[in-house]
Amino acid sequence: MQRDIIQNWFLPHPPEMVWQFLTDTELLKHWFMENNFKPVIGHQFTFHSKPKIKMGFDGNIYCEVLEVIPEKRLTFTWKGGPGNGKITLESVVTWTLTPQDNGTMLLLEHTGFKGVKNYIISMVLDKGWRTGVKKRFMASFQQYEYETTRR
Amino acid sequence: MKQPAADPFQAISDPNRRQILLLLAKESQTINALAENFDMSRPAVSKHIKILFNAGFIAINDNGRERHCTLKQDGFHALQEWIDYFDKFWHTKLKKLESLLNQTAKTKKHNR
Repeated sequence: MQRDIIQNWFLPHPPEMVWQFLTDTELLKHWFMENNFKPVIGHQFTFHSKPKIKMGFDGNIYCEVLEVIPEKRLTFTWKGGPGNGKITLESVVTWTLTPQDNGTMLLLEHTGFKGVKNYIISMVLDKGWRTGVKKRFMASFQQYEYETTRR
Repeated sequence: MKQPAADPFQAISDPNRRQILLLLAKESQTINALAENFDMSRPAVSKHIKILFNAGFIAINDNGRERHCTLKQDGFHALQEWIDYFDKFWHTKLKKLESLLNQTAKTKKHNR
């Protein structure tokens, strides 16, 4: 089973401009993270941020560009871990740009989570998580067990 | 030396440990009663329980000779913290993108 993170964001700017901010390495540094990104399919790059040792994250996100459709869609892999090349988070990020009302609807999808850890992370990223943590956690847990044993 | 904090995700990565949590979600039980649900030895079950205990998923109370296990919130809260972080991450980044775009558009207009 896969659960996805989805966020929609309206920006009062044309897709061409938004695309530039999503793909220009210098601009990405300003709003996103330090990087060596290039909008070229197959290009491998890294985002750098602060390590979260307690969370098993060394601050590096290892990526590879999967899809580039100028001003429409950008897809790349998103992998992270505690360091020493160990990967515990495997996922895919997709940006989709749609022109709307003299602006752009920007859709973020963070998908393809693998493993229990990521399954749980993505599951609880759903809205309404704040209440009934334990109850929902357990219900989904049971669902997960059910699905793994069925395989 | 201080022991590193137990990783709650690591704790629930094992199917037997998830099974233990599910059993405890239904009702609190003694370690002996829990062990009856598994093919492994009692020491093996105890080891799993210890890992869950260290990650804050269960509490153990000594009741005479019996050791009684109940579900505890701490482990779940640790998971939620991680998740909240991730949730906020994208929201913050998108906000930043928006303000940078607004700023750039303003400057462009101004320079025209």
